[in-house]
Amino acid sequence: MSTQFEMLDLLLVSPAIALFLASLIPLAIKVLRGNTESNSVATIMYGLVGVVTAMVLTLANYGIDKVAFQGALRFDGLSFWMQMVVLVVAAVTLILSRDNPATNNRLFSEYVFLLLNSLVGMMIVAWSNDLMSLFIGIETMSLCLYILIALSSEPRKSKEAAFKYFVLGSFASAIMLYGISFIYGTVGSTYIQDITQVSIQLMNTNRLFLFGVVLTILGLCFKVSVFPFHSWTPDVYQGAPTPLTAFMSTGVKAVSLAFFLRFIAMEVIVSERAILLMNALEWLAAFTILAGNIAAIMQDNLKRMLAYSSVAHSGYVMMGILAAGVGGESILGASGVVFYIVAYTIMTLGAFGILVLFEKRAESSLEVSDLSGLGARNPWAAACITIFMLSLAGIPPTVGFFGKLFIFSAAVKQGFFWLAVWGVIGSVISVYYYLRPIVTMYMQNDEGASVLQTKGLTRLAISVLAISVIVFGFIAESIYSTVTSDLASLFF
Amino acid sequence: MPMTEAFLNVGLNHYLILSALLFTMGMIGVLMRKNVIVILMGIELMLNAVNLSFISFSSYSGNLNGQIMVFFVMTIAAAEAAVGLALAVAIYKRYKEINIRFFEQLRG
Repeated sequence: MSTQFEMLDLLLVSPAIALFLASLIPLAIKVLRGNTESNSVATIMYGLVGVVTAMVLTLANYGIDKVAFQGALRFDGLSFWMQMVVLVVAAVTLILSRDNPATNNRLFSEYVFLLLNSLVGMMIVAWSNDLMSLFIGIETMSLCLYILIALSSEPRKSKEAAFKYFVLGSFASAIMLYGISFIYGTVGSTYIQDITQVSIQLMNTNRLFLFGVVLTILGLCFKVSVFPFHSWTPDVYQGAPTPLTAFMSTGVKAVSLAFFLRFIAMEVIVSERAILLMNALEWLAAFTILAGNIAAIMQDNLKRMLAYSSVAHSGYVMMGILAAGVGGESILGASGVVFYIVAYTIMTLGAFGILVLFEKRAESSLEVSDLSGLGARNPWAAACITIFMLSLAGIPPTVGFFGKLFIFSAAVKQGFFWLAVWGVIGSVISVYYYLRPIVTMYMQNDEGASVLQTKGLTRLAISVLAISVIVFGFIAESIYSTVTSDLASLFF
Repeated sequence: MPMTEAFLNVGLNHYLILSALLFTMGMIGVLMRKNVIVILMGIELMLNAVNLSFISFSSYSGNLNGQIMVFFVMTIAAAEAAVGLALAVAIYKRYKEINIRFFEQLRG
């Protein structure tokens, strides 16, 4: 068997190559200067140059549907949207990291290097059409993140968070890999297109294949923090430096959910034998929504509250993923999921990003009560927090409302009526804790934390995110129809 | 003698059962032990159990892809061990012992 690849394959993966090359620049400069840190603005500029180059290369490949490297990577609408999402996330994270005392320390060049390589891993996950490429992508992304979290200047919590994330992340990867080995053993290949051809038949005849699919789904559930595998999420998100929390809760989750969608879209769970698996996943989605929302009510720490809210949002996306896996009008579920991921990314990035503005020291942590009276002290920051919270709660006309609308209507049309009811109940619960910071900011007048005025770039990035939450809400319909036409090739 | 038959003719199932046993032992190690090094060993054991399962499937079906995957898994297991030990050093510097019972900063 010849193992050749064409020039086209290299062109298709050029965004990842560009990012890797750009990641080497800050590291090389640091070495050439005799291990002294250069100006942090220059360092993030090299990173941003790489991200923008990758974005241009991604846009140049828009609208194609091709596979590269003998079918191991796939470039279609889903991977295009995920690429754009993670690139935007990375650009914002670079800006936030420079303005955060926990991340901008004497190892900032190494930090940018690892961040961009983690991004390369994310791109591989977004492209992967092969379970082995998926595993390698996930590990590239996670190994960089474990070190990034431990690099924080904060000495205790970040180490604990890094180790918890490391143990549970590796544990989940091992379980997923064990599942992949059974899928390989029964199908004889790990490519999605080969598995799709035999999945329905094997599902009904082969227990080993069923076992493999269940273990792979378990591993993916760990990665996207679905109940009961969500317990690491609040600890890790709270202990990690805030820019990295924003990066993990949006980028890592977006690509993992996108692969989950690709895996479920093979329709592995529609056969008769898998009915139990299907029911279990429905219950997990419902419990994820409830567990995330109920636990978030009891939190006083803002970062921990947003971490639980991100668990709840995984539950909403799971609903859409299930709607995409049962055949019929699967495209509704799939485009609902992609739209929701885009919406969730913008608002969560903003909500975590604005916390960076309050952090004066590496050890700072922000309670809800610290926000009291912020509406009078700093109207701009209060307005931004209000916009992000309302969008996370799903109040129209923000983008969060349309995300929930598309997911719930897809669930109802695909026959998950009761699941949509749970989703609505969860959203109603969530309004309580999303409105609490807003009430504290405008109705109470105590002295609390104030925004640091020095962080200009971060303020600019957050303003852009806040405006796009509103603007994307107004053009939601046209974005949704674009996503729907881009995703048509996912189902065949 | 049916009993000796099962031990004399070693087939795919034997390897899969061994791999499942190793995987379970690794899993128990990760979940039950408090020492960071033992947890790392548990993760390595889990990954190597997967390697065994890949190789036995590959060998019994005559499909070489599985053996190539083992190389990828070994590479990643090595990288993971490096990162895990680096974290263990960072924890040791802070707490002067490598045990997860000190991890009580984050809860609630």
